[in-house]
Amino acid sequence: MSKTGTRKIVTTLWLVLLLASPIFAGAQDVKIPADVEKLSAKAKETVEVTMDGPMLRWASKYLSADDPEEHKAAKLVANLKGIYVRSFEFDKEGAYTAAEVEALRSQFRAPGWSRVVGVRSEHDGDNVDVFFKIENDKMAGIVIIAAEAKELTFVDIEGPIEVEQLADLGGEFGIPKLDHKSLQKAQKGDRR
Amino acid sequence: MSDMNKDLNRMDDALKHALQRQEVPDGFTGRVLARVAAGDSPRRPVSREPWLGFFTQPLVRWAALAAVAVAMVLGVKLYNDHRERVEGEAAKQRLMLALRVAGSKLQLAKAKVNEMNAGQSTNRQVKE
Repeated sequence: MSKTGTRKIVTTLWLVLLLASPIFAGAQDVKIPADVEKLSAKAKETVEVTMDGPMLRWASKYLSADDPEEHKAAKLVANLKGIYVRSFEFDKEGAYTAAEVEALRSQFRAPGWSRVVGVRSEHDGDNVDVFFKIENDKMAGIVIIAAEAKELTFVDIEGPIEVEQLADLGGEFGIPKLDHKSLQKAQKGDRR
Repeated sequence: MSDMNKDLNRMDDALKHALQRQEVPDGFTGRVLARVAAGDSPRRPVSREPWLGFFTQPLVRWAALAAVAVAMVLGVKLYNDHRERVEGEAAKQRLMLALRVAGSKLQLAKAKVNEMNAGQSTNRQVKE
């Protein structure tokens, strides 16, 4: 086989590998490692939300303009491409390893990602990382990895988002607006 | 002779009487043939429920069928709309949950950063 032919095959193979890589995977750029997905088996409570673009648009049709919180949410998600959340709450500490968290973090050391917050608290062991995805000098996504003593949370939001408005939806004074009813309803919906 | 035999004889006589050949009245055959030729058929028995007779008319039958079909289509549509609304509400709840989790973790990050900044400024003040 000639040198040109071999070069063509190698180039094609590289292209195939590149297109098959997670960066070009389409719906979700970020992959949740299998080890992290398996944590739901150990968790006392798991929140698992996977919503791609069409699903987001469909769900946002049901957001009421009369409810201030839902109105804010509708504006937030208008241009998003996807929301992926995994949150595990454990009975005791040490349910996950530092390596599992590192496997998540390592994906965002790639070009195009910028780490805006990285907190390592020796006091209570809480570690929080916030990464921004930058495309053409614009924010194109956010990833939050919160590793707390009994909780591990991974949030991947794809698309431009107002960070301050998103933080507002987290509740007042850092207390999440999470009640059991909404959690159960949402979990039932996920199972369906 | 026993009573049973007497009864049997009486029945035998009655049967013989009933089955004995009788002459057809004059003109009977002619009348039957004339009615057959005229296409006159015996009358259908009248339904016991008069309202059921209403459906024997073709137009009414088609209208009833159309009404049933429309009701079925409407029923399926209403059911699908209801199911879609329930699923949409569940999807909305999931979306709100995802945003709340994301928001609360952003707030956690913010609080940690503020905590660290406050700690640093306190240390600086103590050093001074």
